[in-house]
Amino acid sequence: MDVQAIIDECMQLWRDPYPHLAKLRDEGEKPMAVFCSYTPEEILHAAGFTPVRLMGSVRTLTHADAHLQAYCCSLARTDLDMALAGDLDFLEGAVFVQTCDTMMRLSDIWRRNTDFPFHGDLVLPIRMGEEVSLPFLVEEVHRFRRSVEEFTGEEIGDGALVESIHIYNRNRRLADRLYKLRTTYPGVIDGLSATAVITAGFWMRREKHNEMLQELLEGLDTGKSRGNGKTPLLVSGSTCTTPDIIELIAELGADVVDDDLCSGHRYFDNYVDEADSSQEALARRMWGRINCPAKHQCIEDRIEHLLRQVRDSGAKGVVFFLQSFCEPHLFDVPYLRERLQDELEVPSLVLETELQSFSRGQLRTRLQAFIETITGV
Amino acid sequence: MSEGNGKADKERRKIKSADAMRDMMVKYYTEAKGAEGTDRHIAWITSGAPVEPLIAFNVIPVYPENHGAMCGASHMNVELCEVAEGRGFSRDLCSYARGDIGSAITKGGPIGGLPRPTFLVVCNNICNTVFKWYEELARFFDVPLFIYDTPFVRGDLQQHIADYSLRQMEEYVAFLEKITGKPYDEPHFTDVAAKSLFASALWKDVLACNKHKPAPMTCFDAFIMMAPIVTLRGTQEVVDFYQGLLDEMKQRIKEGIGILPSEKYRLLWDNIPVWYEMRNLGKLFMELETCLVADTYTSAWTFEGVDAEKPLESMSRIYTEVYLNINLERMADKIESLATRYSVDGMIMHSNRSCKPYSLGQYDLAKEFTRRTGKPALIIEADHTDSRWYDRAQVETRIRDFVENLLGETVPA
Ligand code: SF4
Ligand code: SF4
Repeated sequence: MDVQAIIDECMQLWRDPYPHLAKLRDEGEKPMAVFCSYTPEEILHAAGFTPVRLMGSVRTLTHADAHLQAYCCSLARTDLDMALAGDLDFLEGAVFVQTCDTMMRLSDIWRRNTDFPFHGDLVLPIRMGEEVSLPFLVEEVHRFRRSVEEFTGEEIGDGALVESIHIYNRNRRLADRLYKLRTTYPGVIDGLSATAVITAGFWMRREKHNEMLQELLEGLDTGKSRGNGKTPLLVSGSTCTTPDIIELIAELGADVVDDDLCSGHRYFDNYVDEADSSQEALARRMWGRINCPAKHQCIEDRIEHLLRQVRDSGAKGVVFFLQSFCEPHLFDVPYLRERLQDELEVPSLVLETELQSFSRGQLRTRLQAFIETITGV
Repeated sequence: MSEGNGKADKERRKIKSADAMRDMMVKYYTEAKGAEGTDRHIAWITSGAPVEPLIAFNVIPVYPENHGAMCGASHMNVELCEVAEGRGFSRDLCSYARGDIGSAITKGGPIGGLPRPTFLVVCNNICNTVFKWYEELARFFDVPLFIYDTPFVRGDLQQHIADYSLRQMEEYVAFLEKITGKPYDEPHFTDVAAKSLFASALWKDVLACNKHKPAPMTCFDAFIMMAPIVTLRGTQEVVDFYQGLLDEMKQRIKEGIGILPSEKYRLLWDNIPVWYEMRNLGKLFMELETCLVADTYTSAWTFEGVDAEKPLESMSRIYTEVYLNINLERMADKIESLATRYSVDGMIMHSNRSCKPYSLGQYDLAKEFTRRTGKPALIIEADHTDSRWYDRAQVETRIRDFVENLLGETVPA
């Protein structure tokens, strides 16, 4: 496939992955839903499942209102709605990782009201990166592995797990290369395309995604690098369910040069140590990766990381793209914005969305005004 | 009944221990505020966090949530929330957190703000919001933050969770040794823990008095009376206070004194009180001859299963399995057991807009409650301290309709 064909395919998936997911089963795959970037997908992969990420969808709710109040984030509400409406019947089950209070309750609500064959829970510590929590996390990973094995009735061989870890690590390396390329060779690939290729990976086997990334990287002509003259921006937040926000940024003459998204850079950060025992190593990766706002490493971890990313990528502005009612993210926004402004004089914009009332027009107006203040037009 | 009789009856029904409690809380806040700037340590701490180690180390614990309830009840929390919102905090975040951040900035509220902390203790057994909130406080005050991390418990408490909790309990003690410069004194700690447990057992007995018909108090009274068990358990004063309260409750039962002039229906309350609306709701329920006899909130401070030989270990277990840190089925068990023990006719759930762990799942719990008990449940929309979201007329109408339908008969409007 040539570069453009790959990008087009990924964009199409991102627009609406569900028709494609519904077909996976016919192709002999066993799709297992995951919601969170902390899920040890390697375990599912090694057990023969295809982890697929649910990131909500733009839809009118028909079922979820009976279970979740309107003040719950729309990722939880639309995901549950799809499940209850029978739109996700192709799934083997779903894996819930305890991050925020919403996910913690959603797991129970989901389990009680759906009847997928498998329901997985993984409870994480909030204290990441501190010795005190590591043994607990290692044990949780172990328990999770056992629960998957119990479900399939087969042990996950160490060999298979090592192999899956290897595949996922390769994926992280390739993703990282793609992201770095954008800074080293500006203009070689635009932000929208790069993000599309990473996002699309959530809905296919990692082997396939690796091939795709490999082909893409080989096909990109670094000789052609010449800045694209667009205003460089960084997007921070949880997930981009649809390409709209990044598409809008591109349409408005700006380019996303890096991100701090749960469906982007935070997803592939840090590797699993292949020299270590699998469980321990899987736990250590989560424990040491860039923190999600629902976790704690130290008071400064998120801002330090964000400042570094902004400096390294040369972003001239930061767009916080958030779900309404999302406590972990919304709590961090004031201080992140203040520090970006004080220390780097980088302005930022906060955009909140709800998928059931998604308005591209409104986002466009606010983005346009923001980009204009940066470029001084 | 003549005017004079009505007054006398009201006086007779009044809970006398309320004055003692008010005095104790005033003394506590005066002492805490007076300690600001001295070399006495002041720690801000979440309502579900282990306070016993602080008491044992002679640290003054200060509870922003209790303060938030005060700000809410005195109708001052909205302006404090607005201060935080002006700093970029979303209107959708927990209103205790917003109000507290606002009060930290302006020193606003009924008592001129809380004394500045010298360190912070947060425990996520009630929600994950609190550690985000305390991270913000740690940045604002630039003081150390201790996080006591209690993983969510589904089903029985598992060993690796218990181990993690215990490790942190030990770490907490070491943290306090370092900060206060004093060594851990196990006998003293055991004494504090014993008092805490004793007070909590008394509190449990106080609440249990409400099994009696007519109930000697409503859960609205319990919401007020729980302040000492939340803030100061572990001290002798609190033990004495609850002993007094228990005696009073027993006396009331003996004399047949109910809290309401007449009690026709008994209901269970779920979630944090609507603090700014307590008076109005109290009046409404009195008029409807309906007593809120029990709730899922105040019983969170009744601890069970403590081994005095291993105080740290049993404490760490107890703190991990509190009401909000367990799965919906276990919550349903708890609700069902309250409903049976207190012979209620139904349940009112406060769907609390800015408290997600307490509110998400209520729709399923309401259904489960009815399935298990055969009693109806009503869900009302409000917020614990942000009155901007509250629609009084609508809530009152819904409560009236609900009570009217309880036994299929009409109650006087
Ligand atoms: S968007 Fe926020 S509230 Fe919703 S599931 Fe993600 S972290 Fe939780
Ligand atoms: S979110 Fe709920 S449990 Fe947490 S501090 Fe706020 S009111 Fe309390």
